[in-house]
Amino acid sequence: MQFFAGTEISPSLPAATASGNNGHMMYVFNRDGICLLYREWNRPLHTLNAQQDHKLMFGLLFSLKSLTAKMDPTSVEKGNLGVPQLPGQGCSFHSFRTNTYKLSFMESPSGIKLILITHPRTGDLRESLKYIYNLYVEYVVKNPPYTPRTPISNFLCMCELFNTALDQYVRSIS
Amino acid sequence: MGREVSESCVDSLLTEMVSMYCNRLYANKPELAASRIDAIGYQVGHQLSERYTMERPRFTDHLDAIKFICKDFWSELFKKQIDNLKTNHRGTFVLQDNRFRWLSRMSLDPSPENGDVPQENSEAAAENKAAQVPNMHLHFSCGVIKGALHNLGIACAVSADTSHLPACSFVVRIKP
Repeated sequence: MQFFAGTEISPSLPAATASGNNGHMMYVFNRDGICLLYREWNRPLHTLNAQQDHKLMFGLLFSLKSLTAKMDPTSVEKGNLGVPQLPGQGCSFHSFRTNTYKLSFMESPSGIKLILITHPRTGDLRESLKYIYNLYVEYVVKNPPYTPRTPISNFLCMCELFNTALDQYVRSIS
Repeated sequence: MGREVSESCVDSLLTEMVSMYCNRLYANKPELAASRIDAIGYQVGHQLSERYTMERPRFTDHLDAIKFICKDFWSELFKKQIDNLKTNHRGTFVLQDNRFRWLSRMSLDPSPENGDVPQENSEAAAENKAAQVPNMHLHFSCGVIKGALHNLGIACAVSADTSHLPACSFVVRIKP
């Protein structure tokens, strides 16, 4: 998987159409399962406990990834189920869709997992997730007050630029 | 023949340096940390201006030297020139850069518009500390300008103003 070599906030913005209310929720986890960011734009049913919600989501994706890698009919090696895999090793799952939502997933080589939940008729969001990862690198990782492995909260690390750019971009995804 | 280094590396190095001086070495003495960072910038500016004026004739007056800083020096450092230069013709110059590269990823005002108002003391203290970080980074840049001008024979004092990030202005006062 090719990651970026851009200078400013590139790569080129994937073509954005429409309405603005399609992104529902977004999670960003790091390699240890710490939820760095949780944003919601449109979530009618609220869970009671945010911590449980994050743990559930992280566990779901961890299991899904290892399941899909083990079930891969084209891979040669036969490891045991449950052996943790390096990011990018084996096949990588990128989305699942139900009748009410679609969950898109991207994992970077450093273990940063981006999860975006949208309405079910959304197309392939891999380029969009790459763009969001680039926003993360530019505005969070390179932001001096930010300490790695801590949640991106506005007071401690002044990531206002990241939040506004992210909001703007997600609203423009069709 | 010049060798190149990645810009992200330089950015990360600066970030780490400022953070080390502010949080570890002089954790409770921000003035000392600021003057240390300024001194490092001074050395850097001194040597850089030596390198960038190698083939040029001596500057005739203060305005020429300041123009050199605004044009050539700034383009060597940041690939752009200073956007606006003002002077009162009595030794004070204001150099304004509308998108200062080393601060382009910081936002100054953490706005509590999401409904969270900082209520605990620890959050408010952290917010204050976070608001000082752009100022600390600026001490380095002020030191660079001061060192460069000292090497050209001009004694001065430099301060910076960041009321509108990412635009940033440096005020240079030449000592008579």
